[in-house]
Amino acid sequence: MNYTFQFGEAFKEFPLLLSGAVVTMELAFLSFWGGTLIGLAGATAKIYGGKFTRTLAGWYVTFFTNTPALLQIYFLYYGLPEFGILLPAFGSVLLGLTLNAGAYLTEIQRAGFISVRRTELEAAETLGMSLTQQLRFVIVPHIAKTIYPPLANFFILLVLGSSIAAIFTIDELTGVAINVSTENYRWLEMFIVVAGMYIVITFIASFLLAMVGRYAFRVKVKMF
Amino acid sequence: MIDRLANEIPRFFEYYTMALLLKAMAATLVMTLVGCGFGFVGGFLIIILRQTPGKLWLPLRLVVITYVEIFRRIPFLVILYLVLFFVQALASDVSLFVIATVGIFMLSIAYTSEIIRAGFESVPRQQIETATVLNFSRWKILRYVIIPQSWPVIIPPAFAFMVGFIKDTALVSQIGVLELTFAGKILNNRGYSAVLVFGVILLFYFALSYPLSRLGAWLETKLASSRNK
Repeated sequence: MNYTFQFGEAFKEFPLLLSGAVVTMELAFLSFWGGTLIGLAGATAKIYGGKFTRTLAGWYVTFFTNTPALLQIYFLYYGLPEFGILLPAFGSVLLGLTLNAGAYLTEIQRAGFISVRRTELEAAETLGMSLTQQLRFVIVPHIAKTIYPPLANFFILLVLGSSIAAIFTIDELTGVAINVSTENYRWLEMFIVVAGMYIVITFIASFLLAMVGRYAFRVKVKMF
Repeated sequence: MIDRLANEIPRFFEYYTMALLLKAMAATLVMTLVGCGFGFVGGFLIIILRQTPGKLWLPLRLVVITYVEIFRRIPFLVILYLVLFFVQALASDVSLFVIATVGIFMLSIAYTSEIIRAGFESVPRQQIETATVLNFSRWKILRYVIIPQSWPVIIPPAFAFMVGFIKDTALVSQIGVLELTFAGKILNNRGYSAVLVFGVILLFYFALSYPLSRLGAWLETKLASSRNK
């Protein structure tokens, strides 16, 4: 292999990469919480909704989980202008990622809703628990135990998935790497450094999520 | 808008665009099957290496575990670029299709090995201990105790992973491989409406992914019920 590595060139751009990492986290955070809200609505519709809302939520989940997020964003980015709606690049990426995440989060939250059994609620009522007590001691612990691990896992997947934004000229971690590499031609070094940064970021995120899970919800989350 | 679509649709659904799209769809499917298929075999090897006993194999175990932990924390897009530039530093005449398949392979090894590990761990420890007491060799334990019981646990999620990866291969268009997404970009550049092109491509992906995911769900219930008998 006749290739001389010059990592110095890559590390020179470290501040720029860090600012990219901030954008990556922004995208992951916003699409996660947006998706959680959509998922909450979707799961409610799927469980308590009438026939129409149930089918609608079902089709939303089926469609968005069976098509690539990249194509969904392409559709928003290149397709919507034909209807006269011109979204900025960041907006269309965020909207696409959020809608996509919403579909997966609907299914995760539905599993959580189902995990609370009717008999347990009746038992809690028989024991004279008020609604807030039921929430505090029966409903929330149950739901947290079922959905916290997959939610934490999904957040990590979103951090990785937000690299799609690079394709739409957004300066997140991968995007910065592409931009800088086209100028200094150190592609391999840049991407090795960026890969390392993704590893560090997701490790920190996994660790924090495991801690929050353990102390706030008493859920054991596997870090590895 | 409607006029434009009505004008373009007859031109769009003619022989050459459809041939391009079908060829691209085949490329998407072949890439996923080959990458994930070899990934499954590789994941299996990784688990076998991971379960080797003794201090002698410790470095190898560490390498394998690090590989799995690292590759599950790098975005597919970054892996693709890394494979692309690594391979091009070694040899300049490797086709992009092969590079993309290698990228899929490297990522799917990491994920499927975790799936296989979960399957192996679902076999109760006592059975393995019993087999050891009965003087089964490590290979025989794997062959007669672990694999027969764990494959119904492994196959459904491994299949689901592969079906899920069909969607992730869309990113491969970024390094210039002609698959569904890239075909969409070509047609869009030729002047077809983006709504029409990307709408149709979305439907193609759906047509590919939906039946397979239903098959996966069916497989899961089928295998689960056979296990409980």
